[in-house]
Amino acid sequence: MDDYKFLFKVVLVGNAGVGKTCLVRRFTQGLFPPGQGATIGVDFMIKTVEVGNEKVKLQIWDTAGQERFRSITQSYYRSAHALILVYDISSQPTFDCLPDWLREIEEYASNKVLRILVGNKIDREDREIPADVGEEFAERHNMYYLETSAKESDNVEKLFMQIAEDLMKQARTRDLPRYDSNNQTLDGKTSTISDSSCCSRLQ
Amino acid sequence: MRRHMLVGGAARRLIGPFLGSPEGRPFPPNNNNNPFERSLRQLSGAGALPQLTKDRYPQVKRRDFAELNEKHLGYFKNLLGENRVITDKDECQGFNIDWLKSVRGYSQCILKPKTTQEVSEILKFCNDNRIAVCPQGGNTGLVGGSVPVFDEVVLWTGLMNDIISLDENSGVLVCQSGCILENLENFADERDLMIPLDLGAKGSCHIGGNISTNAGGLRLLRYGNLHGSVLGVEAVKADGEVIDCTSALKKDNTGYHLKHLFIGSEGTLGVVTKVAIQCPPKPRALNVAFLGLESFDDVLACLRQAKRQLGEILSSCELIDNPSLDAVTSHLNLKSPISVYPFYMLIETHGSSCDHDEEKMHGFLESCMSDGLVRDGTTTNEIGKMKAIWELRESITEGLLHDGYVFKYDISLPTREFYSLVPVMRERVKDAVRVCGYGHLGDGNIHLQVTLKEFNEEVLRIIEPFIYEYTAKLRGSVSAEHGVGFRKPKYIHYSKSPGAINLMKQLKVMMDPKGILNPYKVIP
Ligand SMILES: Cc1cc2nc3c(=O)[nH]c(=O)nc-3n(C[C@H](O)[C@H](O)[C@H](O)COP(=O)(O)OP(=O)(O)OC[C@H]3O[C@@H](n4cnc5c(N)ncnc54)[C@H](O)[C@@H]3O)c2cc1C
Ligand SMILES: Nc1nc2c(ncn2[C@@H]2O[C@H](COP(=O)(O)OP(=O)(O)OP(=O)(O)O)[C@@H](O)[C@H]2O)c(=O)[nH]1
Ligand SMILES: [Mg+2]
Repeated sequence: MDDYKFLFKVVLVGNAGVGKTCLVRRFTQGLFPPGQGATIGVDFMIKTVEVGNEKVKLQIWDTAGQERFRSITQSYYRSAHALILVYDISSQPTFDCLPDWLREIEEYASNKVLRILVGNKIDREDREIPADVGEEFAERHNMYYLETSAKESDNVEKLFMQIAEDLMKQARTRDLPRYDSNNQTLDGKTSTISDSSCCSRLQ
Repeated sequence: MRRHMLVGGAARRLIGPFLGSPEGRPFPPNNNNNPFERSLRQLSGAGALPQLTKDRYPQVKRRDFAELNEKHLGYFKNLLGENRVITDKDECQGFNIDWLKSVRGYSQCILKPKTTQEVSEILKFCNDNRIAVCPQGGNTGLVGGSVPVFDEVVLWTGLMNDIISLDENSGVLVCQSGCILENLENFADERDLMIPLDLGAKGSCHIGGNISTNAGGLRLLRYGNLHGSVLGVEAVKADGEVIDCTSALKKDNTGYHLKHLFIGSEGTLGVVTKVAIQCPPKPRALNVAFLGLESFDDVLACLRQAKRQLGEILSSCELIDNPSLDAVTSHLNLKSPISVYPFYMLIETHGSSCDHDEEKMHGFLESCMSDGLVRDGTTTNEIGKMKAIWELRESITEGLLHDGYVFKYDISLPTREFYSLVPVMRERVKDAVRVCGYGHLGDGNIHLQVTLKEFNEEVLRIIEPFIYEYTAKLRGSVSAEHGVGFRKPKYIHYSKSPGAINLMKQLKVMMDPKGILNPYKVIP
């Protein structure tokens, strides 16, 4: 196993077409995929980043916005350390749906989860949601706020790095389970997490 | 489930005989867009014929069987009618060449019986007149067993395609041996059941062929092999005697379990005419995950996790290495859902509750990611995407054919050694277009493939017998699921003891004393 100090699970949610997959691919592969199709099911990947001198692994889960393509909807919220809720600044309906997404988050996610609101596609000229409206919404719901462009690579790196740093700070203050690959109890800790994610309802 | 989508409503046509295509090709009419069907048509259209087997393997001598004459043909035509005795050279061609285009016989007579009685009369006549017979189903066999070596008469089962009964309480389906697997699948599916066997050739292969090769396939891990799920077999011996072992009972210990003799004997002991097969209930919940991994050690760890965490719902656990996937993405224009990795795993679950299964799948994926085993992946229960993922796996055989000539090996190895042969072989065969491995990881069965632009005798000698010796040293099997056929008789001693081979020979002599059934095959 490679050496890393922290492992965090980051989940992206939001309406179809807001650019979740493009944000992830920009961050993990450094590209803007032409003709990106709708996500079906859930895609997941690992990206290792460095914060300070420490290696942090981000486990990124990119979910489907379209209802009919969504699966394992509830379980992926449960063990998330950070949730990125994305809307498209050029599309009022994607913003109007945010309360629905929040309800789902409240219902399934841990209350300690780090929540970030992202207004994507700022490269577009046909903005419908002014930045301060997004920011005000985020503040009201106790979320971080960031505007990005997956296309122009604006703020994408910053978004994920910020999350990594923040989660690390939280982990240091023992608010989060800590993964340490040199530590014999890794397995035990990992399964603690998956226990709470998959079995609590059954037991 | 996946097979829903392939064919809509085709099964309705099946009640009653389902006739082959008018030209009498051994392949069924194309009623779906199975990639496999595509390749059959491409192949049969493509020019280059394989060399005649008698010329490529001059050491194999034609045994003392009768040459077919007008009197023989007259008997067959009288029995079956003109239309079910094919003697036209072009029409015979398709029945003389195997799917891999690796062997070619020159039979000038194809017989198309419809009933057990007709099979019985054909065999009795052939036995009395010393005419050699090659039983053929969908002709998808991969070891050259399904086509004549010389001029054996081909007994094609394609018109024996009646579904006789399905007991919805016990799940026992009884049918004739020429039913196409996919048609049976659709038929069972409409009744909320499934056939416990699935493989890439399903659009063409016959259940009789599956039984005769004891085909394994993609879900053996979960549903076991045909020795378990086939409850009964009716077969015709070389002398025409019909042996009825079609008990449809799950338990029946009255004497020797003779049906097993016909499961996996590749047409050398009798012609299978009827089958009773146990169909499990169709799963309510299906999930598929496609994963990218960095090393074979990670693959092994992931397999252990899958067994532990998915346990009773795990239905398939397949490995694909990158060169195998590349054969599909570069030749067949299919797209991989994830980026490039040395190894991919396809994991499928069959269960009875969606929520329950999804949670398990999620828990499994999360721990694989946390342990750093899986780098990238996707999971879904959406039908179209599950189908697209399975298509990648099922099209590998077809994709590889586009490289040119394929040396295929189907080997069982201890799981730890599952992949060890591939790098060794890559080192040995420097001129290969591709050396790759994929297969049923959960069952320890790898398909190792070496592709060349064209057949090359020298390369063959670099690969064989080395590959068999290597396998024997690890106490593996030199033919895990494809059988022995024409290609492998001289290698079975690597996996069978002298005593066992001797008993096989004695059985053969007893059941087919004149040796007319599928000669030159299986028995060394
Ligand atoms: C794309 C592809 C994927 C495959 N995947 C798998 C897989 O996953 N697992 C696996 O096990 N195999 C696999 N196979 C090979 C497999 O052996 C065959 O596909 C299938 O089981 C053979 O059925 P068939 O009707 O085509 O038989 P054929 O090829 O026609 O015949 C196979 C053998 O059985 C004999 N035979 C056929 N019918 C009868 C009968 N009624 N009575 C007596 N003898 C008979 C023939 O003489 C021959 O020796 C695959 C093949 C292809 C082309
Ligand atoms: N102009 C612009 N277009 C973007 C940006 N990000 C994504 N897009 C486009 O928006 C469309 C949808 O992007 P995706 O990343 O597939 O959206 P998604 O949120 O993953 O959608 P689902 O998977 O259906 O939930 C694509 O056509 C992208 O090219 C961006 O930053 N700027
Ligand atoms: Mg997406």
